[in-house]
Amino acid sequence: MHLLLAPVRWLMHLIGVPLGWVQRTFGMGGMAAVFLAPNLLVFSVFIVFPIGVNVWYSFTGGAALFPAGRVFVGTEQYDLLLACDSYLDPFSCRQDRFWKGVHNTAFFVVAQVAAMVAAALITALVLNREIRGRGFWRAVFFFPVLLSPVVVGLMWKWILLRDGALNALLVSLGYQRIEFLTDPQWAMFWVIFVSVWAHLGFYALILLAGLQAIPHDVYEAAKMDGTPAMRVFWRITLPLLWPTMLVVLVLASIRAVQVFDDAYVLTGGGPGTATFFIVQYIYETGFAGAARNLGLAAAASMLMALVLVVLTLAQLGITAWRDRQEGKR
Amino acid sequence: MSDLVLSSIRKSFGTVDVIHGVDLTVTDGEFVVFVGPSGCGKSTLLRIIAGLEACTSGDILLDGRRVNDVAAADRGLAMVFQSYALYPHMSVRQNLSFGLENARMSKAEITQRVGEAARMLRIEELLERKPRQLSGGQRQRVAIGRAIVRRPGIFLLDEPLSNLDAELRVAMRGELASLHKRLAATMIYVTHDQVEAMTMADRIVVLRGGRVEQIGPPLELYNRPANRFVAGFLGAPRMNFLAARPAGRDLILADGTRVPVAVDLAPVAGQDVTLGIRPQHLRPADGGGIPATATLVEQLGSETVVHARSDALGALIVAVPGQVRLADGETVHLAFDPADAHVFGPDDRALPHVETAGA
Repeated sequence: MHLLLAPVRWLMHLIGVPLGWVQRTFGMGGMAAVFLAPNLLVFSVFIVFPIGVNVWYSFTGGAALFPAGRVFVGTEQYDLLLACDSYLDPFSCRQDRFWKGVHNTAFFVVAQVAAMVAAALITALVLNREIRGRGFWRAVFFFPVLLSPVVVGLMWKWILLRDGALNALLVSLGYQRIEFLTDPQWAMFWVIFVSVWAHLGFYALILLAGLQAIPHDVYEAAKMDGTPAMRVFWRITLPLLWPTMLVVLVLASIRAVQVFDDAYVLTGGGPGTATFFIVQYIYETGFAGAARNLGLAAAASMLMALVLVVLTLAQLGITAWRDRQEGKR
Repeated sequence: MSDLVLSSIRKSFGTVDVIHGVDLTVTDGEFVVFVGPSGCGKSTLLRIIAGLEACTSGDILLDGRRVNDVAAADRGLAMVFQSYALYPHMSVRQNLSFGLENARMSKAEITQRVGEAARMLRIEELLERKPRQLSGGQRQRVAIGRAIVRRPGIFLLDEPLSNLDAELRVAMRGELASLHKRLAATMIYVTHDQVEAMTMADRIVVLRGGRVEQIGPPLELYNRPANRFVAGFLGAPRMNFLAARPAGRDLILADGTRVPVAVDLAPVAGQDVTLGIRPQHLRPADGGGIPATATLVEQLGSETVVHARSDALGALIVAVPGQVRLADGETVHLAFDPADAHVFGPDDRALPHVETAGA
């Protein structure tokens, strides 16, 4: 035992010497800052600094990559993005693709979040029951969350292509092929479906935790009160799960606004602009097009960030409210 | 108001048997208390009666009707949970009316019943509050109110006072007892607290390890416990148990002291037995009796509790009424009335008392 501990002791001593020096130099209060410093540094370099750069670029124009070559143009990029006769009609806008992206994203957020919350709730309710192999099923539903979005996109693409697995199945059953990815309505449906499939487990897990936080004896009281199952759901489960539902709603919305990678791999934004979203607009404007319009892309990012900030504040507010609710219980 | 018959109730969770065949009849209007140490199966038994748990075998009869397969809500019972189990998002009024709404009762009837229960429990001014805005005692009243409005045949109460502080518990004990009288309802009450059992029950059911140890009125169990477990469980401080050996009509204790007992010792002649004597029945005597050394003297004002020790007999507790001046380390001689002695045979069953003249 003594021999085993010797190297550990030696290591501790090795760490102890510089730590002792740091503590003498900065004092006990300064230690917190010292420990936080590496993280703050990484956070600054990769998060805060790029945000600053982005803000600056959104007020500049030209094709130069580095700040030195960029020209200050004031709010010109924002004016360009917001130049519309009617915001309800993307084709009346000067940046019609941006507005098409906004419209598609708005539709996607509403439809995907609704589908997501419903599917996650049903999944959580089922997984919360005493079913056989409960742990296994929980893992199954969570597994897609671990997949890379590109893998998700590719996998479903192989299933949904004209010559994909699903059409092969349809044909073998004697049905006509369906153009899943080249029909605008079907394409949007599958983008939503795949995105729900990929992220469902995460939200189901949160809801499951919420369901399990509801005291069991409340359900027993409801049983003694002779409450029909549907009434238990509407009058007891749902109200008590509501704070958690709100969190899921906002989290899912924040994520849905940023839809891009899996959808891009699946449909490339098509057919036409049927599944073209804001992030794809930013990506193509800033990086993929022949003319790299970094200023315009940065401005579009800022507008999107504004929406996300509002949603995030809502989420923080709701979380704080929920914690207060639970504290009172 | 109903009567209940349990016959050969057994319950297993997987391979673990928790109730080993319980038979019990509860008559209309009776207040029955299930008491026992934790894990004795008292709560499980209550939940079986409630219909929250199915029994593995046996019959549950309510007013003569077998209800094993009848859903909890349709048995006409109401339960008060240890944790109160109020609906946290509903007001007190909604908590009270929820079950009645489920039964599709008319609005007028619901209002009337809720009002009546609120008046009875003095929670009228709390009706619009949420459970989290109530104190423990108020929540307890609401939980009882939720049972009352349903006008159940039997009230089932699962350790309803255990989350209250000592003072409130005593007050609620009294209220529950008077509520029982006023409603003339059948109540089955689970507790691990023998004081609650003694003070509230018409009859006590003492359970241990999923078996009924004894059923009877509180004083009968106190005065004539059927076995060593019941004797030790009821009464505070706990009964003293001393190893002994019969010698004619007397017992010889481990230290050689000879004590007379009013118990028929013939069936256990020559066998090791246990003498049980309540602390309240021991008294210091001038010479004679059982010699012991006082190790701790607790002055409670109304009585004096003396913890004593004897090398041969072990620890002894004596409760003497009033204030007795006694110093730690002093030797006391302890005596008791033969009629107050309990003798338990090698199987821990109590031996029958013999009626002495004048007893």
